[in-house]
Amino acid sequence: MITVTINGKEIKLEKAVTVLEAARSAGIKIPTLCWHEQLEKYGGCRLCLVEVEKMPRLQTACTLMVADGMIIRTETDTIAEVRRGVLEFLLINHPLDCPYCDKAGECELQDLVEKYGLTKGRFREQKRKVPEALEDPVLVRNMERCIVCTRCVRMCEGVQGASAISVINRGGHSHIEPFSGGRFDCEYCGNCVSVCPVGAIMSRLHRHSYRPWQLGSETKTVCPYCGVGCTVVVQVRDDIIKRVVPKLGTVVNNGLLCSRGRFGYEFVGNKERLTTPLIRKNGLLEPSTWEEAIRLIASRLSEIKDKHGSNAIAGIASPRCTNEDNYVFQKFMRVAVGTNNIDSTARTGFAGAQGFIENIFGQGATGNIISGLANSDAVFVIGGDPTTINPILGLQIRACSRRGGNILTVGHMKGLRYYTPLELRPSVNTEIALLEGIVSALMKKKGPPGSHPVLEARLKDLNAQEADLPRICGIQGKDFSRFIDTLAEAATPSFVIGKDMIQSKGGSYGLFLVSAINYIVNGRIYLLSERANEQGLLDMGCAPDLFPGYRPITYPEFRKRYENAWKTGLPDKPGLTIFEMMEAAKAGALKCIYVMGENPVFNLPHTKDVEAGLKNLSFLVVQDIFLTETAKMADVVLPALSWAEKDGTFTNMERRIQLVKKAVHREGMEDWKILSEISSNMGVRMNYSDAEEIFGEICRVSPLHRDLNYEEIEKGDAIYPYKGEPLRGSTDEIHIEKSAGREERGKLYLRVERPLFHSGTLSRKAPALVNICPEAVARISPATAAALSLKDGDIVRASSKTGALELPVAVDEAIDDSAVMLSNNFQGKGAFSLMEYEIDPVTKAPCLDSNQIILEKVNR
Amino acid sequence: MFRETAIKEIEAIREQYPTARAALLPAIYVAQREFGWLSPEAYESVSSVLGVPRATVRGVATFYAMYKHRPMGRHLVQLCTNVSCMILGAEKLVDFLKNRYGLEAGGMSSDGRFSLVIMECIGACGTAPAMLVNNDFYENLTEKYIEEILEKYR
Amino acid sequence: MERVLLKNIENPESADINEYKKAGGYKGLPKALGMQPREIIDEVKKAGLRGRGGAGFPVAMKWTFASADPKFPKYLLCNADEGEPGTFKDRPILEKNPHILIEGMAISGYALGAEYGYVYLRGEYPGAKDVLNRAIAQAYEQGFLGDNIGGKGVRFHLAVHQGAGAYICGEETALIESLEGDKGQPRIKPPFPVNVGVFSKPTVVNNVETLSNLPYLIEIGGEAYSKIGSPDCPGPKIYCVSGHVERPGVYELPMGTSLKDIIYDHCGGMKAGRKLKAVIPGGISTPVLPPDKIDCPMDFVNMPKHGSMLGSGAVIVMDESVCLVKVCFRALKFFEHESCGKCTPCREGTGWLRKILGRIEHGEGVDGDIELLLSVAGNILGKTFCPLGDGAASVVQNFIKHFRPEFEEHIRAGKCMVNG
Repeated sequence: MITVTINGKEIKLEKAVTVLEAARSAGIKIPTLCWHEQLEKYGGCRLCLVEVEKMPRLQTACTLMVADGMIIRTETDTIAEVRRGVLEFLLINHPLDCPYCDKAGECELQDLVEKYGLTKGRFREQKRKVPEALEDPVLVRNMERCIVCTRCVRMCEGVQGASAISVINRGGHSHIEPFSGGRFDCEYCGNCVSVCPVGAIMSRLHRHSYRPWQLGSETKTVCPYCGVGCTVVVQVRDDIIKRVVPKLGTVVNNGLLCSRGRFGYEFVGNKERLTTPLIRKNGLLEPSTWEEAIRLIASRLSEIKDKHGSNAIAGIASPRCTNEDNYVFQKFMRVAVGTNNIDSTARTGFAGAQGFIENIFGQGATGNIISGLANSDAVFVIGGDPTTINPILGLQIRACSRRGGNILTVGHMKGLRYYTPLELRPSVNTEIALLEGIVSALMKKKGPPGSHPVLEARLKDLNAQEADLPRICGIQGKDFSRFIDTLAEAATPSFVIGKDMIQSKGGSYGLFLVSAINYIVNGRIYLLSERANEQGLLDMGCAPDLFPGYRPITYPEFRKRYENAWKTGLPDKPGLTIFEMMEAAKAGALKCIYVMGENPVFNLPHTKDVEAGLKNLSFLVVQDIFLTETAKMADVVLPALSWAEKDGTFTNMERRIQLVKKAVHREGMEDWKILSEISSNMGVRMNYSDAEEIFGEICRVSPLHRDLNYEEIEKGDAIYPYKGEPLRGSTDEIHIEKSAGREERGKLYLRVERPLFHSGTLSRKAPALVNICPEAVARISPATAAALSLKDGDIVRASSKTGALELPVAVDEAIDDSAVMLSNNFQGKGAFSLMEYEIDPVTKAPCLDSNQIILEKVNR
Repeated sequence: MFRETAIKEIEAIREQYPTARAALLPAIYVAQREFGWLSPEAYESVSSVLGVPRATVRGVATFYAMYKHRPMGRHLVQLCTNVSCMILGAEKLVDFLKNRYGLEAGGMSSDGRFSLVIMECIGACGTAPAMLVNNDFYENLTEKYIEEILEKYR
Repeated sequence: MERVLLKNIENPESADINEYKKAGGYKGLPKALGMQPREIIDEVKKAGLRGRGGAGFPVAMKWTFASADPKFPKYLLCNADEGEPGTFKDRPILEKNPHILIEGMAISGYALGAEYGYVYLRGEYPGAKDVLNRAIAQAYEQGFLGDNIGGKGVRFHLAVHQGAGAYICGEETALIESLEGDKGQPRIKPPFPVNVGVFSKPTVVNNVETLSNLPYLIEIGGEAYSKIGSPDCPGPKIYCVSGHVERPGVYELPMGTSLKDIIYDHCGGMKAGRKLKAVIPGGISTPVLPPDKIDCPMDFVNMPKHGSMLGSGAVIVMDESVCLVKVCFRALKFFEHESCGKCTPCREGTGWLRKILGRIEHGEGVDGDIELLLSVAGNILGKTFCPLGDGAASVVQNFIKHFRPEFEEHIRAGKCMVNG
């Protein structure tokens, strides 16, 4: 026990902390500027100087550790004088442009000057003049206001790990700059903006549009973008979102955000939002009324059901919608329509992979705590760069490296390149061979753990050719040994699996091998998730084979349970997957698809095929916030409320259930409300008054959500298994289909880029994100560029069996020589339009890695 | 990007340290020599060879006075004007370099032959005033002596 | 006194290992290797050796802390970032007598249990870099460095790390940051480098002159060494004298030689018999002294009693032709240029002081400027992260303290009375 006296108050401390922390714990506030709880100690601003008895000089409270018996004074006349002196130094070159500065009102410098009362300037010389830097589309730098506390740089280097900005020059010439001196060209997380105490780095999105004290409301909710589920605070004035900021102390993202979360909110107020129902009349979509639209849908659905049976109708649910929306959606499809034809884009990877892994290790096997990655001693990454797919999860991997953990990657992960990854980069078509080699080497080194006989049995017929790996995969033998040694020695390894692995030929076998590696070294698995409620949608039963609570429909006892709960008979055969729906539509067996908050024309591979299927339907309903590519084909389009305009819950990839709250008022109906109106019109009454009531029903029927309610969720930590034991153990059957890709060396293959700044439909309606990353580019390796005589910015025609696009190329050292990377984010330029697929027999995910692509330079 | 020989040189330097980062200062010297000054390409090259983010490389480089952030003349004149040199007439020599060679502090002569950098102490105080031309010390300077010295550097 | 550190430097081949050996070099190292590391540290303690970089910290104490730390490996860094204006004492060792430093480092490394050493050499000494590298190669060849020094299995590797123009890197934690490839900005202490230094390992940073004392110290023994010069801080000391004396240059003399003797005896007195106006005794950061205050022994203990500091032992002698406002202005220009920018008072304050002094020097001073200078200096002194800011503030305070009328005259007349 350490006892210190601060301002005459005796404070007892369990362990040595800084004087600043000790003071704060006792409610004594010491002014600071360079100190920030998320950042490494710095001791530069000198605002926190305090008197310590028996020490000759004043000491900085933020760096000095307490010692037993220390007597400290934090507010004396001398100290006030010193602080005035420090503030005077900070102001001599400061422009004092508070009336014009967006930070005024929440500026730490302004507040301190007000507190310590500086009135008269003694500086007679010329102030430092630096023009405001407006080159960047999103961030403004004003170096006259900068106090060189370096919080932004320490954030960028030490926490975000992007190292995009630095202090340039030294002494009085110090200022903060991105590498280019102008545009940031960084990860645009904006976390520098969060920590800047003054108006030196600010967001341009709300520039000069309000004062902090004019905010109408602040709503704590969950980010709508990826499956990490960061807490965000939405600040609103006059029903317009002014700013989205993180909050310190929140579990998932603790004061951090990524570019999408921070700058991607403008889609909510986008003028292109749908405002009224549209009905196709004489081939054209024409504005209509809710009443007409709902009646039309109800009658058409009933008609098709009567004429072709319930299974002629299918529904596509949305990983962007809340649990409540999705629950009502599947209930509507199962009860009102009477079909299990319910699926979503989770089928493109997440759903099948999770099912496969849970089948081996039991339910909840992929629901691990994201922050745990930082505490792992090794992180194995395969199938996608986590720093762009799930950026905040990516930060945990960077933190792991910073704490001395080892990062092991199969394939090159650009966002981890400064984190000394042990990288194995197998040549085309050899990832499976490499994984087999890893399993076999680990088995030799560590031996079978013996706790999972079924899995071990499947390892017996492994066809590993370890000695030949360098030749087969083009990797160095010593790199392989280091990789294996590191993995074998890890005590708390984690495995991060991305979609590229799942979407490759032999993906399910690859998943099996990674699962086996995980089993041998006793790790835990993280499955990257691109959508905010991908997990929740599955948990709500928006799958052809699952009831809410992730219960297989084929078990009669589960079906009984839901029949009782919903007081109706339920179909007992699994329905169609989203890909089977497209096939059935093309074949004419499927007559109608009801799409909620999804854009299959764009978000499923083989665009032409999807379009052909949808065209062949006799009735297509799309419920969305924008007139998407799919909505344009619909017979009826219904405007929905966006994430910011409704209440509900999202379930993140950890299976953490979090409240989504209405931040902005907008006329219209929630997705669940629209569905219940239609259902009631079809004679199946749904009479929910709000989202909370729906959640109450979810918690009654779903064993995953038992005893949960909004109040409990609000308290935090509503993570599955919420109460009780895991609900489903591993099975004694592991289905493996061995196969591997068949790429030929020397050909180019199209790969899906999953960029940091976009997510698909939403992000392209967010101007800030479009400004950061405005257009689709084809990324190629320097070798490919050389072979095709291409340079950055050249326009190429990229053609595959299914189509062709013209777009610029970017030469990127991170790209494999066999690959052309293209994102699926920009209208008319999506990678999926150039892709065909085969379905993996086990995960039912599409295999996308066999699409050859030809690039030809277009001369203009 | 660096020539192969420069990459080899930096890799050899890197072997002297337990971390790649520690080779940053010497690598920036190599880049300065190879590119003549620290152009964006020079920074990117250092970044890629050592695996240090480019903004960090630039931040570190701009901290130090002896790295050159703009193109330089063929020969670098580094004249000390700190107290020991100043009290023995260094300032007159600054004027002389300006009048005779058109050399301003921090600038380059119009023929690209010389660049002038005003130095803080260069450790030749006992033989002040003093300067370095490239890597060579010249001491007890006078205007006439400077003329003689600079003749050698074409 | 017989020269130790600058022995043989008139020999044009003095940097060659064989010449060094001929002159009696590489005797201390074999003797040291015959001793236990602990015994070496005891000898250094007995000798009372103090660091020659400026602070005068007892060497044995630093070594004891570092050798007691169980972390491994340990590092020995030689601070050859001689940047204090007026100082040129290490340069002759580096350029002309590099082996005495290498031998000293090998001894120290053995004593500390440090297997790796770096010489952090200032960028402004490109010649010394070549000399050192050649000398290090020779020392490796002859087995004074490497994995098996003196055939005794002792390991010590040495390399030169060149700085790039930053005075602040003379501060040991800034030096460490710079060696690690970062900006040379001082670190928070504690932890001290002896525990968490370069590459987070126990590290001793010693000055060139300090380390060069080791071969001789070991050769003659701590007891005998402690008899040289001042009893409180014994040993030979290199004084470097610049400015208006007849014979400026480096003088290796017993520690504690009087400043007056240095100027009037060793250096032959004032140049052309002109009148002494002021002396900066230990490099520009040390308080300036007026002519009546120079009868003082130049060592770490006595100089503070006479109102200044030994610093680096860099004596700058100024005669009546010098305008002290201008010197003060030039000094602040230096501090402003060298401020690392980490802490507020130094980053902003040095520039402000320089600007005010510039105005006064250029005849634009106004009433109250002297008080303003003192107030701003007061707001810096004792509030900065490292001693650089203190140095800047105390230069202003001491110039005004001893030569206030000259400042007042500048403001009153609107011009310099010395240079017109």
